This record gives sequence, C-alpha cells and structure tokens, in this order.
Amino acid sequence: MDARGGTAAAHLEVTDVGKRFAVNGEAFAALDHVALGVAKGGFVTIVGASGCGKSTLLRLIAGLDRPTSGALRLGGVPIDGPSLDRGIVFQEPRLFPWLTVAGNVMLGLENAQMPKSAKRAAVAKHLALVGLTAFADAYPHQLSGGMAQRAAIARGLVNRPAVLLLDEPFGALDALTRTRLQGELQAIWAQEKITTVFVTHDVDEAVYLGDRIVVMAPRPGRIAKVFENARPRPRERTDAALVHLRNAVLRELEATLGAEAPEPTRAGPQAAARPQRPAALRLPGAAGA
Amino acid sequence: MSAGETLAVLGGGAEAQPSGARIRRAAVGLLVPLAALVIWAASAQYGWLPIQILPEPLVVWDSLVQLWSSGELLDHARVSLLRVVYGFSAGAAAGLALGLAMGLSETVEDYVRPLFTALAQVPTLASIPLLMLPLGIDEALKVVIIAKAAFVPMTLNAFAGVRGVPAQLVEVAQAFRFTRLQLLRRVILPGAVAPIFTGVRYGLTKSWTALVAVELLASSEGLGYLLVWGRQMFWLDVVIVAMIAIGVVGFLMDKTLALAETRLQRWRVTAV
Ligand SMILES: Nc1ncnc2c1ncn2[C@@H]1O[C@H](COP(=O)(O)OP(=O)(O)O)[C@@H](O)[C@H]1O
Ligand SMILES: [Mg+2]
Repeated sequence: MDARGGTAAAHLEVTDVGKRFAVNGEAFAALDHVALGVAKGGFVTIVGASGCGKSTLLRLIAGLDRPTSGALRLGGVPIDGPSLDRGIVFQEPRLFPWLTVAGNVMLGLENAQMPKSAKRAAVAKHLALVGLTAFADAYPHQLSGGMAQRAAIARGLVNRPAVLLLDEPFGALDALTRTRLQGELQAIWAQEKITTVFVTHDVDEAVYLGDRIVVMAPRPGRIAKVFENARPRPRERTDAALVHLRNAVLRELEATLGAEAPEPTRAGPQAAARPQRPAALRLPGAAGA
Repeated sequence: MSAGETLAVLGGGAEAQPSGARIRRAAVGLLVPLAALVIWAASAQYGWLPIQILPEPLVVWDSLVQLWSSGELLDHARVSLLRVVYGFSAGAAAGLALGLAMGLSETVEDYVRPLFTALAQVPTLASIPLLMLPLGIDEALKVVIIAKAAFVPMTLNAFAGVRGVPAQLVEVAQAFRFTRLQLLRRVILPGAVAPIFTGVRYGLTKSWTALVAVELLASSEGLGYLLVWGRQMFWLDVVIVAMIAIGVVGFLMDKTLALAETRLQRWRVTAV
C-alpha cells in the first residue's frame, strides 16, 4: 500500500480520496482510498482498465467534482474547484464548433488577467507550440482528429497552468498520429516543466511517457501499484529497460483484471438488474483496501 | 425550364457542381407547381370543373395584373405584413425569453412548463372567441393571435436549444471558471443558435397562417380579407390571386430567414 508513493514534498497531493456515486439508489465506489503524490514538474501516467476511476480521479484533481472523502491539495492549498492553474485536456477534443481554432484557444484566457494583446500573443505562441499556426482560422470540423486534439492541448496549456491534466487524449487517434503527438507532448513538457498527470489505457504509452506509472484496479477504483521509470529522455521505445518495465506493468494490469474474474456477478448482463450487485461488488474491494 | 435544360445543368463541369446543383434543385422545386398549372389549364380547356369554381389561369392572371397595377394587392399585403411584424416580434421575443428562462432554470421550468404545454395544445384559432371579449375584433386581437402563434414554437425551440448544448462544453467553460454571464454569452447562446433559428422560421410561418385566419374572421383589409371578400362575391379569380399572394409572401419570408441563417452559421455551412 505504501508503494502508492505519497511523497511528503509532493506538489500535488491526493490523500486517501474516496468518491462514491449513487447508482440506482445504491452507493457505488468509483474511487476508494486513493493516495498519490506528484512532484513538481513530474510526469505521472495512470493506466487501468476502463471503469476503474481514472477519469473520476482526474476530474477531482481538476476540481470539476468533489471527493466523498479524503483531500486533494496543490502546493499545500486544498483544491476546492476548477482553477486556471490546472489545465485539463479531455478525452474528446471538446472544441466549440462555432469558434475558430484560435477562438477556442482564446476561450481558455477568457478569465485571465492580461491585456488583449498579450492574450493574442499567448494564443499564437501556443498554437505554434502544437504546430497549428496555419490552422488558426480554421473551424473544428475542418480539422483531423489529431489536429483537434492538438488544439485542445493548446487550450489546456494557454494559461500556463502549474498542472496539466490529460484524460486519454490520444485514445481515439491512429497509431502514427498518436506516436507523433506523444513526442510533441514530451517536448512541450520538457520545455515548460509543467507537472503532468496523463491518463491512458495504453501500457506502452504510459511507460514511454511517465516517470511514474500508476496502475489502477477497478471495483472499487483504487491504486494497485506504482512503478518508477527513471529512464532518461528522449527515450527509445525499443529500449530494453522500457520493454522490461512495460511487461511488468502489463502483468500488474492483467492481475487487476484477473482479480475481477472470480466475482459471481460477472455471470452476465442480467446480473446487473439484481439489486444486491453493488453491495456484493464492494466486498472484495473493501477486503483489498 | 424544360427537362432538357435541367439535364444540361446536371451535366455541367465538375467545378461548377455546387452552384449547378443548387440551380438544379431549385428547378426541380418548380416542376410540381408547373405540373399543377398544366392540369389547371387542361381542366379549364376541357371543362372538367365549372369555371365558376375553377376559373381559367388567364382570367386569374388578368385579375392579378389588375390588382397589382391598381396597387390594391400591395396595400393588402402591406397591412398583413405589418400585423405580422408586430405580432411576430412580440411573440418571438416573449417566446425566446421564456424558452431561455425555462432552459436555464429548472425552477422556472417546473413552475411554467405544465401551463405552457397545456396552452400549446390549444390551437391558436380556438383562443379567438375568448380573446374577442377583452380585446374586441380590432388590431389588438390580430396582433395577440399572431404573437401567440409565434410564441409557442419559439419557446419550445429556445428551450430545446439551451438544453441541447452539450454538457461537455459547459464543463470546459467550468474548467475555465466562466461566470454565469460568460457561460450564457459564450456557450449557451451560440450553442442554441440553430434551434432558436428553427423557432424563428417556424414561428414566422405559424404567424403568417394565423394572420390569414384571423383576417378571415374579422378584418376590412389584408390578404385574408381579400380572400373572404372574393369568396363572398364569388370572384374565384380574386380568391386564387389572394392565395397565391399569401403563399408567395410566406415563401419569401422563409427564404429570407433561411439565407440569414446560413450567413449567421457559416461555420456549420462550410461543413457541407
Ligand atoms: N457521474 C457519475 N455517476 C455515476 N457513476 C459514475 C459517474 N461517473 C463515473 N461513474 C462510474 O464510476 C466508474 C469509474 O468511471 P471513470 O472514472 O469514468 O472510469 P475510467 O475513466 O477509468 O474509465 C465507472 O463505473 C462509472 O460508471
Ligand atoms: Mg475515462
């Protein structure tokens, strides 16, 4: 349990966080006893099967949701809502269709305290950073998936947040585009030294990008294990040490899925209608915590 | 336009496609009216219907020319249009306000929705007898009836528009700490423009039809009056001229709005 790695000097601290949702009148633990520390300028990746609470955790850090129990702090200050200090990139680009690419990035600066000219300069700078200068005046529907996601990254960065949160940002992209964007993100991170929390379900991506890899397990959503990745950057995907680490993470991830298998309620979709189900599901998690 | 010409347009160069396709589709829209005209002429020619009931096209054309050149037709049209302008503006503005309020606040929705839904079920014309008592049968009645006709679709569409703004975009705004006003101005209103425009177009059509109906009942001028007057005199040619005028004005209003809509939403149109 201590392998979760709550560093005392962590910049971003997630302390014993739980998050419950009411599902069909039953409390459902999306997160249970989650503890995580991220050092300033660190790059943490979170992997886990879908439904294990990755997005929920990220939304808590973003301040879009509040934990049922536990606390989150950034630089010692409790997180009690969204802040321009924490940029977020969602799984979908979420661009506003009626605004141009530049307009969408400008949206991030709506409440920034700076003169209009400085805002325009910031938008131009961040569009250049993600390689979209030529598409500043294009509308979202004119962009490819990768370009739209880059615009969303520019929007997440434009406030120069202390923390950048990314929720499976490359999940829907083809392998080639994903690889390129991973490289670009690393370059941006290295250049800006932004504390980054990157959610993914792709183990290769998690290992390639993260200097710490958090493996989450479902039902209830919890941290199963944390891996350190000290390989220097720029990294080679074929690096033997990375491949070795990748296999270890994959084994851990498979173990979290395997743990689920013996549950009797996995029998079939009809089981979902059974009212006892959520309660039954909580038991193994409670035992594991 | 003949079928041959239509085909010629169809076969135009690839680069001319967009405008060529538009002309072709507009031309196709004329085919059915033209066919109706041919059947009408044939009917007059072969006496399928007595000319007291269906006068010949040429007679109708003569009356049209006569009513036009005397200025009578334009006068009636102007009266009708003015009524619609007043009634529609009031009804659409009120509908927009109520639709937005219901969309933005569940409290307002809970209070107002049931009554509104019930009101929306009552055909506009069915409220005339009741409204006649306080309003009389003068301009006020007409304007209120027209306003009510626009009010219902406007409210419904504005409401649906606000509720249809994706929660994901609202969440983006939250992440950037938008105030309620910023959320409204930068997210909700632009996001609801398309349904609101549908409400405007639909409301205008409703207003126009309600106008003609209320002019049929109580009026001494306007296109609806022209219609009643022609019927009472058994001048079916005048009736048909009035019908054509009503249809053309309504069509032009809708087209104008459609044009405004595409201009306002260029970001959407260029997607095609
Ligand atoms: N607002 C909500 N209401 C009810 N259940 C939710 C809500 N958000 C998430 N959940 C549930 O919590 C679990 C974790 O969801 P999520 O964090 O989106 O998982 P992940 O991102 O890892 O796929 C899922 O079972 C999901 O159904
Ligand atoms: Mg998710």
